Amino acid sequence: MTATTPAVPARRPPARRLTLAAPARLLRLELRRNIAGWLLPLIVALFWLDGYHYAMGFPPFWGLRSPVLPDRAMVDFALFGAGASAWVGSRDVRRRTTDLLTVTAVPRWGRQFVTWAATTGWAMAAYLVCVAVLYWSTARQGAWGGPPLWPAAVGAAGVAAACALGFAAGVFFPSRFTAALATLAVFILATAIKGGGTSTYGLISPVAPQGSFRPDSGVFYHYLPDLSIDQVLLLAGLAAAALGALGVPAASGGRWLRRSAAALTAAGLVTAGTAIGLAGTARLEPYGVVIPALHDAASDRPIPYTPVCGQAAIPVCLHPAYQAYLPAVTAALRPLLSQVAGLPGAPVRVVQVAYLNPTEFATGGAPTIAGRPAVLRLPLGFAVLAQQTQTEFLQSRAAPVIMGSVIGGGTSGASPAQQAAEAGLLQAAGVPVAQLASMGSVYKPPAPGSPVYAAATRFAALPAAARHAWLLAHLAALRAGQITLEQLP
Amino acid sequence: MNVEIVDLTRRFGRTEAVAGVSLQAGPGVFGLLGPNGAGKTSLLRMLATVIQPSSGTLRLLGRDPGSYGPRREIRRRLGYLPQNLGYYPGFTVAEFVEYFALLKDMPPGRVPAAVAAAVERTGLGDKARAKLRTLSGGMLRRAGIAQAIVNEPELLLLDEPTAGLDPEQRVSFRAMLRNLGETATVIVSTHLVEDVGAACTKVALMNQGKILFYGTPTELTARADGTDAAGDAPLERGYSAVLAAARTGAGAWS
Repeated sequence: MTATTPAVPARRPPARRLTLAAPARLLRLELRRNIAGWLLPLIVALFWLDGYHYAMGFPPFWGLRSPVLPDRAMVDFALFGAGASAWVGSRDVRRRTTDLLTVTAVPRWGRQFVTWAATTGWAMAAYLVCVAVLYWSTARQGAWGGPPLWPAAVGAAGVAAACALGFAAGVFFPSRFTAALATLAVFILATAIKGGGTSTYGLISPVAPQGSFRPDSGVFYHYLPDLSIDQVLLLAGLAAAALGALGVPAASGGRWLRRSAAALTAAGLVTAGTAIGLAGTARLEPYGVVIPALHDAASDRPIPYTPVCGQAAIPVCLHPAYQAYLPAVTAALRPLLSQVAGLPGAPVRVVQVAYLNPTEFATGGAPTIAGRPAVLRLPLGFAVLAQQTQTEFLQSRAAPVIMGSVIGGGTSGASPAQQAAEAGLLQAAGVPVAQLASMGSVYKPPAPGSPVYAAATRFAALPAAARHAWLLAHLAALRAGQITLEQLP
Repeated sequence: MNVEIVDLTRRFGRTEAVAGVSLQAGPGVFGLLGPNGAGKTSLLRMLATVIQPSSGTLRLLGRDPGSYGPRREIRRRLGYLPQNLGYYPGFTVAEFVEYFALLKDMPPGRVPAAVAAAVERTGLGDKARAKLRTLSGGMLRRAGIAQAIVNEPELLLLDEPTAGLDPEQRVSFRAMLRNLGETATVIVSTHLVEDVGAACTKVALMNQGKILFYGTPTELTARADGTDAAGDAPLERGYSAVLAAARTGAGAWS
């Protein structure tokens, strides 16, 4: 019998702690004690109440929601970022640590860069989280295609630039009022640029109303990143110039470091100047802002797609990005199209077309009929996409075009019989003709009690088959203006 | 010699804060005494490379601080506690000391141990995680000393280090000074002569930007012999005697 010593379980060697490099450790300290960290809940709440709800008020299209980012980033994030950076930048003088810091070995420029990076890091992290939430929400709502990254990049560059400029202001003009003044300056700059219109200055600003994208960007045509690239160049240039300027004073470091800082400042200013110069060459094309030097011709090609179609007496085909709107569009057009389907001049198909300018998108645009056989080309604007007036709005736009293409005569030169036939068809379709004008339609209904109104009511009261048969037999004469009110059944 | 000064002056406008000081100091604790406005702080700030001399020669740790490269080397080996200690109220004691350790270019791997040692050495071990805004004046002073010694400096410059310390802390601080002075040059600017008597091997007495006396504390005490200089302690009487002689000699100081 032999005695054995019980096996002692081998102790795991203590885990080796990762030693961070000095800049990383400094950054960790600065991040932990940075005022921007305390401002985060306020900034995020502001974005939630302002930017997020504003963006989510648009239909779920990337081209509509993503341009909100650079605009609101400047107000919600850059404003506070600039203020916090100015506060941190003036910290050494306010806290009277200048002597203590002067005698340290790390160059002042390097130390300041770490402090700026920490402040910007917090603001940037908050911004990127908010971008992610907005994009995630939009994707969840079934937005077609992929999210455009350029608007987010412009916002990020705006945050970095505002923080750099604010920090430099704090360093060069250290006072407890600098932070408030820097915040105010960014606010004034942002609101002043909002009124900048189509000037170079107004165009290149991230808060410019012109924006980089057209409403149908990313749907019918590619996003044009030209203006976004130019904006990023400007903002990156400003950030580089501000950060470089910190390293120029004699106390910032050695000769080479100061020369590098001066070179960075010069490069930043040249970049910003180039961006402004490029913005001066910009032209507004139907699919976005084109800057020739930055433009990729491949972006001009339409994006191929397979339309989704519904049936409303004739096929109604939309871009798949608008698939969610197909039932509503079909339902709105069906009463109109069923009255004229099969008649000479009536459209045989409805296809969605891209908007060509933002104003048209906001007002709803106008459908047109073209081609043989006739095709109703229908843009779907912002107002059309608004849920509450969708049916009435679509009908107000489409009715005069559809009826006009069948009955003829146009909106001003129509004969009384043509007016009565058109009004009768609209009444039979159940379209509230009296409300059409209030919806902005070019259609002018006949006055109640007038002979045209009486004839229209009589025509609408006919059975649908009888009305259709009469139109088939007499449409050519009606279009030629040879039918009188009395001859209308 | 860690400190070599020849005919050093510093002017602020028309005021000559330091007027032609020459001095040499090796390892040991060196006391800089003098009344308010004597130029002690200006001299210390020049030694700390915070400000540049108006004229004269200054060599620290065998290097010329006038050039960037040597100045950076000096700063790596330097510890400095200014008269008015600035600090970041949101930092903890350990973070404050770590921040300066990193800025002094210490190897990152050595920093945690060095911070812990400096904090312990100044008696702030139990306050390492306390925010600076919560500390008393004396504790803040000790935190300032901790950041000054964290890099085990070869040249340690302390401006009024015992201001705000209670008697017990002052005693342990003097012991720490003696200990540091075994390997480094420690220059302590103070107007408290008992600190000098207890901790310093050499002492200089400044007045109106000039050094009036340079020697050992014993030699300073001896200056009171045969005079009716005022003071509660022998060193104080020596201090008063030197100043009184200077006033008489200059005739303008009152």
